Amino acid sequence: MTRTPQIARAAKLPHLAAFVAIAGLGLAGCDDHAGDPKMQIGANPVMPALQQYLMPPMRIAKAVGWGTDTTPTVPQGLQIRALASGFAHPRSLYVLPNGDVLVVESNGPKAPIYRPKDIITGWVQGFAGAKAKDANRITLLRDTNGDGIPEVRTVFLDHLNSPFGIALVGNDLYVANTDAIIRYPYQAGQTSITAAGTKLTDLPGGPIDHHWTKSLLASPDGSKLYVGVGSNSNITENGIGAEYERAAIWEVDRASGAHRIFASGVRNPTGLAWEPETGKLWAVANERDEIGPDLVPDYLTSVRDGGFYGWPYSYYGQHLDPRVEPQRPDLVATAIAPDYALSSHVAPLGVVMYTGTALPENYRSGAFVSEHGSWNRTPLNGYKVVFVPFSGGKPSGPAQDVVTGFLDMDNHARGRPVGLAVDRTGGLLIADDVGNTVWRVSSSLPPGSTPKPGT
Amino acid sequence: MQQHTRITKASFIGAAELKSAAMPRGQPLHKLLVAFSAAYFTGAFVTDLVYWQMPDVVWERFSIWLITAGLAIAGLAVVVYVIELAGIRRIDAPVWPRVVGYSLAVLLSLINAFVHSRDGYTAVVPSGLMLSATVILVLFATAWVDRAFANRLVLEHKI
Repeated sequence: MTRTPQIARAAKLPHLAAFVAIAGLGLAGCDDHAGDPKMQIGANPVMPALQQYLMPPMRIAKAVGWGTDTTPTVPQGLQIRALASGFAHPRSLYVLPNGDVLVVESNGPKAPIYRPKDIITGWVQGFAGAKAKDANRITLLRDTNGDGIPEVRTVFLDHLNSPFGIALVGNDLYVANTDAIIRYPYQAGQTSITAAGTKLTDLPGGPIDHHWTKSLLASPDGSKLYVGVGSNSNITENGIGAEYERAAIWEVDRASGAHRIFASGVRNPTGLAWEPETGKLWAVANERDEIGPDLVPDYLTSVRDGGFYGWPYSYYGQHLDPRVEPQRPDLVATAIAPDYALSSHVAPLGVVMYTGTALPENYRSGAFVSEHGSWNRTPLNGYKVVFVPFSGGKPSGPAQDVVTGFLDMDNHARGRPVGLAVDRTGGLLIADDVGNTVWRVSSSLPPGSTPKPGT
Repeated sequence: MQQHTRITKASFIGAAELKSAAMPRGQPLHKLLVAFSAAYFTGAFVTDLVYWQMPDVVWERFSIWLITAGLAIAGLAVVVYVIELAGIRRIDAPVWPRVVGYSLAVLLSLINAFVHSRDGYTAVVPSGLMLSATVILVLFATAWVDRAFANRLVLEHKI
């Protein structure tokens, strides 16, 4: 699995084996089995020793889409329906105060080719449906009568540049393009914005722009914007200079556009949310690849002001990554281990803290996390939306599967969950960038009743 | 053994051709290509050494492209060699030291290409650098053995 046929055949030659031994290669064995992801959920994930590969494992789920009448599956007590479909790679969602749903249809800019590997990677991503054309727009959905079927669907904003995050403060609507935060004037009830935007601040963009999504969250008082800025590489293979002010959560002053690094060492902070009980900032983040099927677990964590979370030098505190040179023992010493592991390569791309009352009681305190799904791990991991229960402002138990069925029997991807949002009536919305659909999860029980235990 | 058979046969065809074994008039094209790929692999060793001393990604990128180019030319050399074998009319020193040595160098370079496709420092140090060095050693050893065989052939036939 992890070697090319040529190499597997060649390895049988004894003289080659001798040379390989001389070269001090740590050859990845074919018996490269991944462990149970359950061992890597929670505060203390079990982490094996890291290994390096000749041929990093690739295990992608071929994108097939949803047939007619197929939907993701939800546990008893919940129901799921498509709110709308026919989107072009919907990545994130935002619910406006009047209940209108904004769907960000977006994809990353074209990746430059620096090494032969980049050609292969681009080809593999095409299989997984990650190379869809960048629509660069935001579509508005309005469900006036609350029947779950939007009556209005308009292009809200067009000609953007790989947008991802949205935040509304008063009448200022902020869109985080991949290279800048743009402010637009917004009046309640508006179904499209034609006014030209004003740039609040530049963000680290091209030419490499390895992790292009910029998540966005306004502070409760509206004075600051928090921006998740992903790293420009897997593990600094584009040079440390390309990582300037990346792998960080920025705090941008809304009045002046000035920014500071609120937290650093977070490889790719793809989703931000306020924890309602403590008011603390939380984030989901995607960790590094190519050191094993069970390394490094992606995570959900509270974000401390000034905190350093390890990337690129270390992970989960002081676990050193030998791929970074020169090392920084001074920084590693200060590295904070994240609060809650979600297991390896699940690729969390969305998080919402649920504060509504419309879903059954067991979902009323905690975080929904969408796991876009792995591409370099066997068996596949993620491809679902999970719920992490919170109590006292902290995760209080194992993550529960909430929305599954994104993979079919043959491990082909019908869809992949990305952005999450809670709509005006308390339903959970899920953007699906392979199924090109926005799903809506709601309670299937009459109000006031509780689901049977053990579901 | 095969080669000796062929040499004998060829000797019957025309003893005058013997001279070209010692001082070939025109190099076959595959030898030129082999020399090209060897130069690429040597270049990769040099850029690996530089990266080792000064880990700037540009040197690692040089290395992987040089190795890739070397492998591409090696592939071409194999194709040309097969074509030239089909039309062989000349007497030559035994080819197996060259074939075995060069194949080993190419195989190691293929592994090296995968190692160099890793992300970060360990794409080069230590495995990639050691592989690049081993490839150079194998190529030198091959050239040396090949020369020794060629000299012996010349001595045998000069009598």
